[in-house]
Amino acid sequence: MTGYLVKRILGVVPVLCGVTLLVFTALHLIPGGPEVVLLGEQGTPEEAQALRARLALDRPLPVQYLAFLGQVARGDLGTSIMSRLPVAAQIAARWPASLELVAAAIALAVGVGVPAGIVAGVRRNSIWDSAAMAGSLLGISIPVFWLGLLLVYLFAVDLRWLPPGDQISTALASTLRPVTGVYLVDAAVRGNWPAAADVAAHLALPAVTLGTIPLAVVARMTRGAMLEALSQDYVQTARAKGLRERTVILRHTLKNALLPVVTVVGLQFGTLLGGAILTETVFSWPGLGLWLYQGILNRDYPVVEGGAVVIALTFVAINLLVDVSYALLDPRIQYG
Amino acid sequence: MRMQRTGWMWLGALCVALAVLGVSGGLPSGSLQAQNARGTLVYGLGGEPKLLDTGDSSDNNASIVQAQIYNSLVGYKPGTLDLVPDLAVSWVPSENYTVWTFQLRRGLRFQDGTPFNADAVKFNVERWWDLQSPYSFANAGRTHVTWRVNMGGFKGQPSSVLKDVVVTGPYTIRFITQSPFPNLPGVLAGDGHFGIASPTAVQADGPKYGSPSALPVGTGPFIAKSWTPGDRIVLVKNPGYWKRGLPKSDGLVIKFISDPAAQLADVQAGTVDFTADLLPEQLKIIQADPQLRPVFAPTTNVGFLNLNPAYAPLSKPEVRRAVATAIDQQGIVDAFFGRQLAVTNGHFTPPVMSWAWSPKVTSYPYDPAKAKQMLAEAGYPNGFDLDLWYMPVPRPYFPTPRQVAEAIGANLSAIGLRVHLKTEDWAAYLADGEKGQFQAALYGTVESLDPGYAYFVRFTPGSTHDLGGWTDPKVLQLLNEAQQTGDRAVLTRDYSQIDEIVFGDAVRIPLVHTKLLAAAHRGLVGWVPSPFGSESFEDISKATP
Repeated sequence: MTGYLVKRILGVVPVLCGVTLLVFTALHLIPGGPEVVLLGEQGTPEEAQALRARLALDRPLPVQYLAFLGQVARGDLGTSIMSRLPVAAQIAARWPASLELVAAAIALAVGVGVPAGIVAGVRRNSIWDSAAMAGSLLGISIPVFWLGLLLVYLFAVDLRWLPPGDQISTALASTLRPVTGVYLVDAAVRGNWPAAADVAAHLALPAVTLGTIPLAVVARMTRGAMLEALSQDYVQTARAKGLRERTVILRHTLKNALLPVVTVVGLQFGTLLGGAILTETVFSWPGLGLWLYQGILNRDYPVVEGGAVVIALTFVAINLLVDVSYALLDPRIQYG
Repeated sequence: MRMQRTGWMWLGALCVALAVLGVSGGLPSGSLQAQNARGTLVYGLGGEPKLLDTGDSSDNNASIVQAQIYNSLVGYKPGTLDLVPDLAVSWVPSENYTVWTFQLRRGLRFQDGTPFNADAVKFNVERWWDLQSPYSFANAGRTHVTWRVNMGGFKGQPSSVLKDVVVTGPYTIRFITQSPFPNLPGVLAGDGHFGIASPTAVQADGPKYGSPSALPVGTGPFIAKSWTPGDRIVLVKNPGYWKRGLPKSDGLVIKFISDPAAQLADVQAGTVDFTADLLPEQLKIIQADPQLRPVFAPTTNVGFLNLNPAYAPLSKPEVRRAVATAIDQQGIVDAFFGRQLAVTNGHFTPPVMSWAWSPKVTSYPYDPAKAKQMLAEAGYPNGFDLDLWYMPVPRPYFPTPRQVAEAIGANLSAIGLRVHLKTEDWAAYLADGEKGQFQAALYGTVESLDPGYAYFVRFTPGSTHDLGGWTDPKVLQLLNEAQQTGDRAVLTRDYSQIDEIVFGDAVRIPLVHTKLLAAAHRGLVGWVPSPFGSESFEDISKATP
């Protein structure tokens, strides 16, 4: 296992080189640069050229790329051209907010999607199956932006049950001393229950909005995996042995069916960390996605390149965790 | 078997309940409005400022925040372009408008305790004007483009209007210009761009000054307390503010909400007290909500259609005028803005500068048949191909640029033009437009300090790259004359002539002058939006119920 882990960790290096090269090339190939954004509509071509020189963007692209790789190797992700803040510090500031949102969305997806998929698989062609699959089809089809706004108007504007956006109420923000940066965890650790309830209320709508698509994917994947597992000989054997149906489903079928589901959940987690742009926009959620998107619009090269490095690392780490979890779920799988 | 089915149903129900409770934390936490503290204003800003360093930024998200932290030498009477004293109590020009002497307010201190005086003003002016100054931070990417646009150029450049800035007493400063410059007080009022910063803070913070890691320091009503990137800026009342009894609120939170629908939802839910930069179609929602009131902010903007004379068919003024005649401008206003939020009138300068309009100028009358005839007479009876570009992002003058472009495209197709609608990423749009690559394109100007400025930044050499470098010598001559005088009668005469010439040239066809839609809770009083979106919130308070 140790040898496998070392091999996988070393494999990060070529992955990072590939990702950064792709992002760097794409970013520099699209027209316009940070100098255009900084100068605005009234800048002249001469000013733009001078600014490119001052920002060292007039060097040959390979030189710029190698300089960036050198920085990354030294653990430095550079400084944002727009905000003048270190990119690493900005990522560190946004990471907990993204983690909180994505974790809640994935919890919802797994908490509802897996049982729904199990029921649909076990009761194939029943009304439960039809309801679960129709619901998941709806979940995949609803545009996130529209769903978010709909939830805001229903629960925040009309019913006034939940807040329309933000991580925490303005009045309570000052009462919450950070520990991990994940507000819900911090409030619980500090025993600040009014803040915990407030944070949870703020989390509800964004988590439901973000969790809808993964929920639908997980439900459909679980159903498919359950159907496949239920048709296996060992399930028939278990039933023939006279085991209770619950034991057959939970012990023998579900455990095997979970392998592809875990893979999907892992991929969804990684995707949502940097890709929850629409949800973050609707709910003014200070996460990584919106920040990266604004970085692209502003042509803030260090922000986008640094963000790409961190998201690539996250993907690699999550994939590694998923692979390791296979061994836990299925003892036949061994890593040598 | 029946028990098993029931058991599964319970399991499913339990999972759903746990997931929902786990996500929502149970019941909501009481009145959301109550959490929005009475003494603290919460403003929803449609984006995050890039930087809060005055003189550098041409970013409108920065202007409104800077207006809370800084004061300028000259201010505006609320809601107008009328100049009033701010940090300067008076300003006097020499006879030929080449020397301006400003008397400064005495006994003030910056929020960090640094005394405010003529040396502090000179320090600020020099860092905007002189790119070689160690505090211009030009090497760190500061552009000070707003200074260049307003003042002709930087120190050492022949185009620079400013020749010198001299401290003649502790509270007296003199601006010496290369040529007569009657607009200097208006420029220094600066629509939120030329606030005076604490020299101590700028020197101590270096290029980080004005960023989230080194907050700005001025003499204004609020002190920046924290800036959480991507989220909010928190400001507290400046207890030492020099205007007695102000600000009226204890604090101010500026939340960044990048989507107008989310901005309005926040106001409706009571978690934000007021917000601006909403979309015209949101007016009905505001009017239908008894808790809210719409606020119409005057602007100095103009949304226009560029017709690039470098493209052969558009090189003839007759063709450009035919295009203008084919566009249903009032129809566009009615469909996409509403008459409460926009006007179309043929003038390039906005209604707040109507003193500079010519009475002879009115919109091109919408007449497709006549336009088709004009086109035929100009040698294009079968029309021509036209790439019509529109910006990919909402702008104050075109909140829905694609729809406006589609309407124009339909109008022009009706007279036989083969219109191809095009767009691209905003940064690319700006860059390609600057290179003159667009045949026809939607554009706009957000800020216009006065008519001369409005024409200067769109009709003089260096500002017409998007028109292939096109200029009109008569316009240049009149602008040059206007720059030599502060006499309103002479200015009115010159600008009226320019109004007529620009209208006839039809290279930039003014389509709309919009008002900005804002919304506030009915309990919020004292808010008078500025035409530049850079008003101070010092007079705003929440009424007690």
